[in-house]
Amino acid sequence: MSAASGVERVVARMLAWGGLLSVSLMLGGLVVYALQGQPHVHDVLAGAHDRQSGRAEDVFTSLNDVGRALRQRPPDGLAITTLGLVCLLVTPVAGVALAIPAFWREGDRQYALIAAVVLAMLLVSFVVAGRA
Amino acid sequence: MSPIAFVAALFATSLAAGAAGAVLGLGGGILLIPVLTLFYGVDLRYAMGASIVSVIATSSGAAASYLRSSLSNVRIGLFLALATVSGALVGAGLAGVVPVRWLQLLLGLALAYSALTTLRQLHVELPEPTDADPLALRFGLEGTYYDAAFDREVKYRAAHVGRGFAAMLGAGVLSGLLGIGSGAFKVLAMDHFMRLPMKVSTATSNFMIGITSAATAGVYFARGDIHTLLAAPVAVGVLAGAMLATRVMARLRNTTIRKVFLPVLAYLAVSMILRGLGIGLP
Repeated sequence: MSAASGVERVVARMLAWGGLLSVSLMLGGLVVYALQGQPHVHDVLAGAHDRQSGRAEDVFTSLNDVGRALRQRPPDGLAITTLGLVCLLVTPVAGVALAIPAFWREGDRQYALIAAVVLAMLLVSFVVAGRA
Repeated sequence: MSPIAFVAALFATSLAAGAAGAVLGLGGGILLIPVLTLFYGVDLRYAMGASIVSVIATSSGAAASYLRSSLSNVRIGLFLALATVSGALVGAGLAGVVPVRWLQLLLGLALAYSALTTLRQLHVELPEPTDADPLALRFGLEGTYYDAAFDREVKYRAAHVGRGFAAMLGAGVLSGLLGIGSGAFKVLAMDHFMRLPMKVSTATSNFMIGITSAATAGVYFARGDIHTLLAAPVAVGVLAGAMLATRVMARLRNTTIRKVFLPVLAYLAVSMILRGLGIGLP
C-alpha cells in the first residue's frame, strides 16, 4: 500500500493550501507596497543591515500591530505581507491539528492521542512566547 | 544595491537553499544564515528570524509532496515529534542556565563522529533488515514507499527506537537552546540509529522540522526578529525551490543523497567545534 492513506492526504492538503495562501498574501502585499511607492524602503532595508538604524515601526511584533495596519485606509502593504508570514508560521500547527480527527476516523486512537499531545505542546509554546 | 535588486537576489538565493533543504531534510538555515550575514550584510538576529521562516517554508513546500508519495512517514514523524517538541520546550527553558559553549563542543564532536560513520556507510543503498523492535511494532513505525530510482516498492521498519527517540530529545533541546532547526540531527537519528532508508529519513525530517520550528517561531516573531522585507522573499523563494526539488528527489539514489549530506555534516561539525572552543566562524 504505497498510495498515501487518508491521514497523509489530509495533512498534505493542509500544508499545500497553507503554503499557497501564505505566498499569495506575501506577493499581494509586496505588490500593494510597490504601488504605494515603497514608502521608506531605504530606511526599512537599512534596518535589515543594522538593527539600530532601522525604524522600529517597520517590524511587526504582534498580531495587534498587524491588525491595526491592515485596518488603515489604504491598508499597509507590508502588513499584508506580514499576515502571509504569520499564515506560514501556523501552517504546520494546523497540519497537526487536522491529523487528530483524520486518525480518529481511521480508528487509530493511539495516533489521534499522540497528535493531540504534540498539538498541546505547540500551543503551550505559543502561550509562553506571547507572555515573554 | 537597489531595493528591487536586493529582493530579487534574496529570492534567487532562497530558491537554491530551499531546493537543497528539501532533498537533505534540512531547513536550509545552515546554508542561509552565513550567506545572509556574510554576502548581504544582514543583521544576525534578522538572519536567524529569516532562517526560522525558511525552515517552515521548506517543510510546507516539500512535506506536502513527500506525504502524498509516502516518502514522509506521518506516524514516525509525529511519534518522534513528541521527543523534539518536548525537548524544544525544555531547551527554551534552559537557555541562559546551561553554558552554550560546552553544548556546542559536545554537538560538534557528536557530528564529527556521525560524519565518520556516514563515510563508512556511504555506499549502503538500503539498510539490512534487522530483528523487529517491540516499540516499532507497538507504534506501527513502518511503511512502504515506491523507489523511482529502482522502480520497485521498498518495505522498511524502524530499529533501535529507544535510541532514536533519545537522540530526537537531544535534538529538540538543542533547537530550543540554540534556535536551530536541527534537521541534520533528525536525519541522522533516523538514518543512523533507526536504520530507515535515507530518503524516508530526509523526507520525514522535512515533515518534522516544520512542527519543531513552529514551536519557536512565535518567540522570534514576538521578539521582532522577523523582518518582513527580508523574510517574505526568502519564504517565497524557499517554498518554490522546495516544491521543485521534490520532483527530483524521488528519482535520486539513497547513496547520492548521502554523498551530498556528508560535506554539510562535516562543515557543521567543524563550525560547532570551533565555536565551542571560542573561535568565531560564520
